[in-house]
Amino acid sequence: MFATVMVVAAEPDRPDTPGSVEEYVSVPMPPGFRVEATELEGPVFADAGGRTLYTWPSHKLRNGYSGETQGNPACYDEVRTVTAGLMSPYPPGILLPELDSRPSCTDLWPPVLAADDAQEIGKWTVVDRKDGTRQWTFDEQPLYISVLDNEPGDVIGGTTRRYGGDSPANRVPVGPPSRIPPGFAVKTTTVGRLLTTDKNYSVYAYDQDTPDTSMCHADCARTWVPVTAPAMAQAQGEWSIIERSPGVRQWAFRQQPLYTNVLDPRSWSLEGSDVPGWSNVYTQRAPSIPANFTVQDTLVGQVLADSRGMTIYTYVCGDDSVDQLSCEHPNDTQVYRLAMCGGGDPGKCLKSWPYVLADIGTMSNSRAWSVINIDPKTGHHAAAEQADAFSVWAYRDRPVYTYGGDQQPGDVNGAGTGEWRAQRNGLKAFWLRDDYMGGTL
Amino acid sequence: MIVANREQTMKNRSPAILICIALLASFAVQADGGAPIAPREGAIGYVMTDLFWAVYQTPDAKQECPNGFNPGPREQFEVLFPDSEKRTVVDTQLKQEIETWHPTADPDSFPFYEAEGPLSYGLNLDGKTGPNDFTHPDGEQGIDNEVYRAVACIIGFRGPVGVEYIFQNKAIADRRYNRTMIELTGVDDLTNDDNVTVTLYRGLDRLLTDATGMKVMSGGSQRVDMRWGAKLIRQTRGKIVDSVLTTEPIAEVVIPWMNLNVPTFQIIRDMRLQLKLTPTGAEGLIAGYADVDTWYKQLIRNDSTHHLSNGQISGISLYKALRRLADAYPDPETGANTAISTALDVKLTQVFIVHPPGEAAVAELVAH
Repeated sequence: MFATVMVVAAEPDRPDTPGSVEEYVSVPMPPGFRVEATELEGPVFADAGGRTLYTWPSHKLRNGYSGETQGNPACYDEVRTVTAGLMSPYPPGILLPELDSRPSCTDLWPPVLAADDAQEIGKWTVVDRKDGTRQWTFDEQPLYISVLDNEPGDVIGGTTRRYGGDSPANRVPVGPPSRIPPGFAVKTTTVGRLLTTDKNYSVYAYDQDTPDTSMCHADCARTWVPVTAPAMAQAQGEWSIIERSPGVRQWAFRQQPLYTNVLDPRSWSLEGSDVPGWSNVYTQRAPSIPANFTVQDTLVGQVLADSRGMTIYTYVCGDDSVDQLSCEHPNDTQVYRLAMCGGGDPGKCLKSWPYVLADIGTMSNSRAWSVINIDPKTGHHAAAEQADAFSVWAYRDRPVYTYGGDQQPGDVNGAGTGEWRAQRNGLKAFWLRDDYMGGTL
Repeated sequence: MIVANREQTMKNRSPAILICIALLASFAVQADGGAPIAPREGAIGYVMTDLFWAVYQTPDAKQECPNGFNPGPREQFEVLFPDSEKRTVVDTQLKQEIETWHPTADPDSFPFYEAEGPLSYGLNLDGKTGPNDFTHPDGEQGIDNEVYRAVACIIGFRGPVGVEYIFQNKAIADRRYNRTMIELTGVDDLTNDDNVTVTLYRGLDRLLTDATGMKVMSGGSQRVDMRWGAKLIRQTRGKIVDSVLTTEPIAEVVIPWMNLNVPTFQIIRDMRLQLKLTPTGAEGLIAGYADVDTWYKQLIRNDSTHHLSNGQISGISLYKALRRLADAYPDPETGANTAISTALDVKLTQVFIVHPPGEAAVAELVAH
């Protein structure tokens, strides 16, 4: 049942057609903050300039914790010089690369500072930093912005997609609760914000249903179990309730009655959508893939591929410093990436892990996907008018690649290449659907 | 299926009773109540529950590893980069990771202990007996198993506590991606039959287990994976002698083998099976020639240097050994062997294989 205090906030600028953007529950905010719609992460909190707010949650690593516990800022203007030894087998105290240009934590993640007269409200509180400044927190997690975000609605700095225990302690965007009834949840995936039950089982819609009538009964309903609504539940916004039979009420979202699939073998499954007429439900879809990209079947599921059908990979990297700084963006040091893709040799990288080149004049129709110019010798952004620059496709402002070891469409031989199964310094396939390992999450 | 046809009658009976009834009903039984002689309609399915590289082990490894065990990444790092020296990420950690991910067959800077002694499990793959061949503990000559020679003195590959032995084996049962199935058709007699058809599929479903979830039970069902796994289907012929199935080689088999969420596989060339069959299970060997680069990538893509360290597995040294010991499929340009003889211990449990319905599905099966 919806709480009576739930109010839909003023509608922000929406990047897509009406009805396809996730709604949220309005929460009290201090002056100067707002909510921004994003393509990939749904609604997020932003500062007065529209810049997305992030937290750095504590994350258990192999040899200890990194990130921040509630109420304890750990990101400061201090350049770390040695490894923390959080990831075995490598010991702590080893000199980090490119120290002469290495940023501090706050160079990349400026804290969201609070004025002396800031008034706490709701889950927004203020914490003292050891440098004497005061910092806003949400739910007691200190808040930051990312220097990578350029426009309101950017979430280039981080993602709420699930990351494994051996991934770096990542920064994640933070936002208001999704506007969903109790018993539901929303999960960020590569293909959109997936609607599930609060037990993480996917919910489905049936194309034979009408907004007020379910066409799934008897045998059908034994496989596709209606998601029932409590007697006190009330329709609101995009959520409605149909009465399947006297006293049996079923939730509907955007006028589609909802079901779970008893044959789903695991959480966040997309397998039910193989059955004709049935489809997963999203609060919002991820932006369309670039026009000439393709989708290929593999042994695991479906993967994003280039125009030739060759699997597309993203590069993931976080260093082993206390700050867990990113090393995956073109602005970051490239020594980790060059080590994995070519043994330190940029030329070998271009052969083994070539960039996905963009045709001249190609424009992206989203902000998640963009075309950027890269210096192929360094991996950094190219200088203006640089003659030998590559124009390449990027996802979340990071270049994407194919793998020289893939022989044919559907090969994913490069998936998991790199340290910690590519969770810290390596290349991951761009999964659009997988039935076995949660790769889309 | 029998269980489905009698659903109403049996729905109140316990699962264990249903399984027993189904198994008994799937076999024609001799009139005098003796051993089953043929599966119903001449078909029986098995699903893989255990798989790992066959390693002949003696107590304390005295015979096969008289020099001890090989050092792993942690031990090698300490030797190469003592903490008394100034160390950088580039010159230490990344240097080792580069050698792991871009391995070469160049000479190793560490001694590598290969298996010694004459004995090994495996099959005689080439029909010959040569100076590099092993002898099976049962006395059979000409055993080809160079993977054993490479991994026997690496702790992580030795049962029952080696990290690879534990986790890769466990993943076979736990992960649906790894759900390899074998179906025998045209079986007149599960004890002796000179001509049966053997088909490999991937299944889609979780395994049937007992209440603990640890013991896989026979009598479960598995749908054939035609959605993602159609390309894995293979077929060959075999014969059964004294309940042991021996197949003809299959040119190339892809065995899906995911551990820790990276979808990897093994490519086994000239793959053949030797399995002791019962109505409730099968056990024996998968043998053939493993593609060396695929073998190595399956290992390091699934297990990070941390995991390898726990088993004292230096990927850098092991790759050199694999290349050095590779004994088949020479590269036409370089002459270097690209495949290495091997054998895997395998266990399977009987399962009812549910084929996709319809003529189109049958045609697709035949096509594969």
